[in-house]
Amino acid sequence: MADRRHGRLTRSNGRAPRLIWPALALPGTVWLVVLFLAPMYVVVAILFGTVDPILRQPVPIWNPVDWDLGQFRYVLDHIIGPDGFFGPALVRTAVYVLVASALCLLIAYPVAYYTARGAGRHRGLLLALLIAPFWISYMMRMLAWINLLQNDGLVNRALSFGGVFDIHVNWLSGHASTVVLGLVYGYVPYMILPLFAGLDRIPAATLEAARDLGANRFETFRRVTWPLSRPAVVVSLLLTCLPMLGDYFTNDLLSAAPQTSMVGNLINNSVLTPGQTGQAGAFVLLVLLISVVPMILYVRSNRLGDEVRS
Amino acid sequence: MSTPRHNQGLSRRSFIARAVAAGVAVPTLPALLSACGASDTTSGSASKIPAPNNPVRWPISKKNPPIKSGQQIQAGTTLRIYNYADYLSPKLIKEFEAAHNVTITLSTFNDEDEALTKIASGDLSFDLYFPSYDSLGKMVQADLLRPLNHDYINNIDNLWPQFKNPWYDEGWEYSVPYTVYTTGIAWRTDMVSEDIAQRQNPYDVFWDPKYASNLAVIDDWHTMMGMVLLRNGIDDINTTKASDISLMRKQMMQMLQVTHPKVTITMYNDLPAGQYGLCQMWSGDVVNAVYYLPKGQSPDVLRYWFPSDGKGMVDNDLMVVLAQGKNPVAAHYFINYMLDSKTAARNFGYIGYQPPQRSINPNEIVADGFVPKNLATATVLPRYFVEGSRLLQLPPQADNEYHQIWQEFKAGG
Amino acid sequence: MTVLDTRPKAAVSRDGRETTRRRRRPSVLLVVTLLYLLWSLLPVLIAVLFSFNAGKSRTVWQGFSTRWYYGDPLRSVWHDPSLHTAVVHTFRLGLLTTLITIPLGVAMALGLDRWRGRIPAGANVAVLLSFVLPEILLAVALLFVATTLHTPLHLGLWGQVLGLVTYQLSYPVVIVRSRLLTIGKHYEEAAIDLGASAWGAIRRVLLPMLVPAIFASTVLVFADVIDDFVIVRYLSGDASTEPVSVKIYNSARAAPTPALNAVASILLVGSLLVVVLGFLAYRFFTRGERADARGLDVFTGEV
Repeated sequence: MADRRHGRLTRSNGRAPRLIWPALALPGTVWLVVLFLAPMYVVVAILFGTVDPILRQPVPIWNPVDWDLGQFRYVLDHIIGPDGFFGPALVRTAVYVLVASALCLLIAYPVAYYTARGAGRHRGLLLALLIAPFWISYMMRMLAWINLLQNDGLVNRALSFGGVFDIHVNWLSGHASTVVLGLVYGYVPYMILPLFAGLDRIPAATLEAARDLGANRFETFRRVTWPLSRPAVVVSLLLTCLPMLGDYFTNDLLSAAPQTSMVGNLINNSVLTPGQTGQAGAFVLLVLLISVVPMILYVRSNRLGDEVRS
Repeated sequence: MSTPRHNQGLSRRSFIARAVAAGVAVPTLPALLSACGASDTTSGSASKIPAPNNPVRWPISKKNPPIKSGQQIQAGTTLRIYNYADYLSPKLIKEFEAAHNVTITLSTFNDEDEALTKIASGDLSFDLYFPSYDSLGKMVQADLLRPLNHDYINNIDNLWPQFKNPWYDEGWEYSVPYTVYTTGIAWRTDMVSEDIAQRQNPYDVFWDPKYASNLAVIDDWHTMMGMVLLRNGIDDINTTKASDISLMRKQMMQMLQVTHPKVTITMYNDLPAGQYGLCQMWSGDVVNAVYYLPKGQSPDVLRYWFPSDGKGMVDNDLMVVLAQGKNPVAAHYFINYMLDSKTAARNFGYIGYQPPQRSINPNEIVADGFVPKNLATATVLPRYFVEGSRLLQLPPQADNEYHQIWQEFKAGG
Repeated sequence: MTVLDTRPKAAVSRDGRETTRRRRRPSVLLVVTLLYLLWSLLPVLIAVLFSFNAGKSRTVWQGFSTRWYYGDPLRSVWHDPSLHTAVVHTFRLGLLTTLITIPLGVAMALGLDRWRGRIPAGANVAVLLSFVLPEILLAVALLFVATTLHTPLHLGLWGQVLGLVTYQLSYPVVIVRSRLLTIGKHYEEAAIDLGASAWGAIRRVLLPMLVPAIFASTVLVFADVIDDFVIVRYLSGDASTEPVSVKIYNSARAAPTPALNAVASILLVGSLLVVVLGFLAYRFFTRGERADARGLDVFTGEV
């Protein structure tokens, strides 16, 4: 596709070489407008639309003048207040995501730090092993845990030391801890790699300077390494928090109990339910808003970073 | 379809706006329907809701006429079936393929809401679909079905006589029954020490803190909510009374707090695996569960309760031919094949769900080896269809209320 | 997103000194790292192991066999049409999506890098948005388009491909652009000064220099697509368009056999092969460059 365009442009060589850049960027831009931005408007039109009377499938309303606020108001009314049954699920989502991200960081930071600073000649091998789970299908990794957490699975057998103790934990029946640990397990690889890249980039000379000036190891970490790695921490937190926000399958596979429903489950439950499709739209917009704000902050900090760098 | 006038104005305006704004995106059939002014949601369609005391004969579709008689399956074609997982014997599929030189593709769905949405999208052209009877009316009214040509389905005579003229589809114009089942309670004697059937009100177990995190309910809104109504002696499990509905809601939220149920439809795997000791269960699934027990585990541990007076939930699933399918002839042949006594019995052996076949004598099901002795209660008797409660399509207003409560339940309260 | 060449020139000598110093400490960090590796990889290895179980159980070992790959006449990956269609469909999605995404994304990266104005600024925001937003948002939006509107976007293979390309497009754009940043404009300007047309400069000078980045994004996109779940599940049509991830999700909740572990293991081997080959090829393409600039960063998706 690109070739055809450029063939034409080359003939007008010299006079309009600048047209080449828009011509290169346009197909992708148009693609995103048609298949990314426009569908988001369809979500809005369905949220503010109605349902057909027979199958109760959504009927979008395109013109904002005619928008029906019913479904939107329904969701808002049920987030807070006496009937706010969506509220607890949203709070739960926030708690799960925050706890899981914190745990991810707690695991990922030392591992990334060791790999970047201390691994020495095994660094390549270590890095390859760390990257491996990144390439293993998420579903495969969840399946692995489902096998282990079955009632007669290895976890219970290990806990009971092969039958010495009588341990029958139903790990897969609605335990918040199972879901949070599942999230940690699923998303930790996404955090280690950017952290590694960030920590690896800190010049060793800086650290040595700190030590030469009398700082001990802890001081060096607190006053030099940690501040310098902060941008990487922010990026890695973003890269794990945002996908977790939209996650419903971890929950479905490891719990399937309403007690552990997250906002992703709210979306997934209503998106195919006749008459509730618009509510899925409302939650989609909610997650969109929650995701866009940290992103704007990130872009701004990034821009600042770029300026500092150049 | 009569419409209040103010609605018409509004929908026409939005229709034009839609047409202008959309350009590329033309609204689909449902959109057109409502734009033509059918926002009539309370009256009119209510009379079209079939019930045992309100039998309905559906009009024959003009858009999708029945197929002509006397046709043969074209060799080399594909028959596309849309069904629940593990609900059709793969061996029977292979034999049908071999006998008629066709390819069958089996696609599965998790619940009927998902299935209806995908069917309504019109992209998939499935030939044969297995709904429960309460969604039949909606599908006929949305013109998604093709009326059956009875000439192809002479095996209908094998069925219990009542199914030759069911109240939800008089004259079986669009559907034939596939299976019959009750909804009761199943448990494992090695994980639950009491005999639940001996309880004054066995449904109470789902609110008994003793069984917290050790139980599951069925992930199907009406089936689960109907159980809550039955617990309170409300036999009309399609009630639209505000007090009944609010009582139901209260008790569902209570259940969440007290027993933390798992909400799923995979009991036939989870119960044998010992993931919980007790669950709401379809009779067919508990029979099927026997085959999913781990090696060496005796099926004796499984028990099933359904009220012996028949006053519980009793249902049947259907086979229907979808209008969007490209191979309605093969679909008719397949329906007739599944109604054959031998095929039906073999399918019963695989899926655990009983077909309403006359040749299968409910009193001899245990002796014939279809169902182990300890699960004799899972047998479905014809009289249940007189005594039991049926899940009906709800009027839109109530349907909406039930769905909202279900959503609240699934959100975890 | 980040710049490759900010690393210190003294990297090598630093590494040497650091290791000698580290040896003397009791390494808590080493223990943590090893424990992490064990925790992250062992469950997967066990799952792979059970794909070779002779029995039906996925928790009790009953002897080695390849029954779930080939032996079982009904339910092995080879004989169960729904399982091998899933494998084939997964790779088909990976291939088609990659073939569309990479040219589209590389062209877009080139264009956005030089084109100034409101449109490219907006396009940049769109790229970033699609890069970080939870996948479910795009999936729901496209599902709505497919089920409520009459557009060329239908449920099934092409709907999935369109959705995946949209979601993946940001990868090549981000990766190629960060590479363009390190290359700078000098080479291309020199080529134009020497009489090359703008297109000629791109084709003869820029593109060859971009090969590593293009390659890295190809591998990344392919591996990510065959792992995708959210978009492909919502936009799947009938059984023939359900890839392995959806199959695992559906059966893991129902009644799985070790055949499910087998199908997941096949996918695992497939994607590891692609990545290892990709990495080797990447080393080959960048063999002339400084050792520390051809690190693994590009494979981390972070670049």
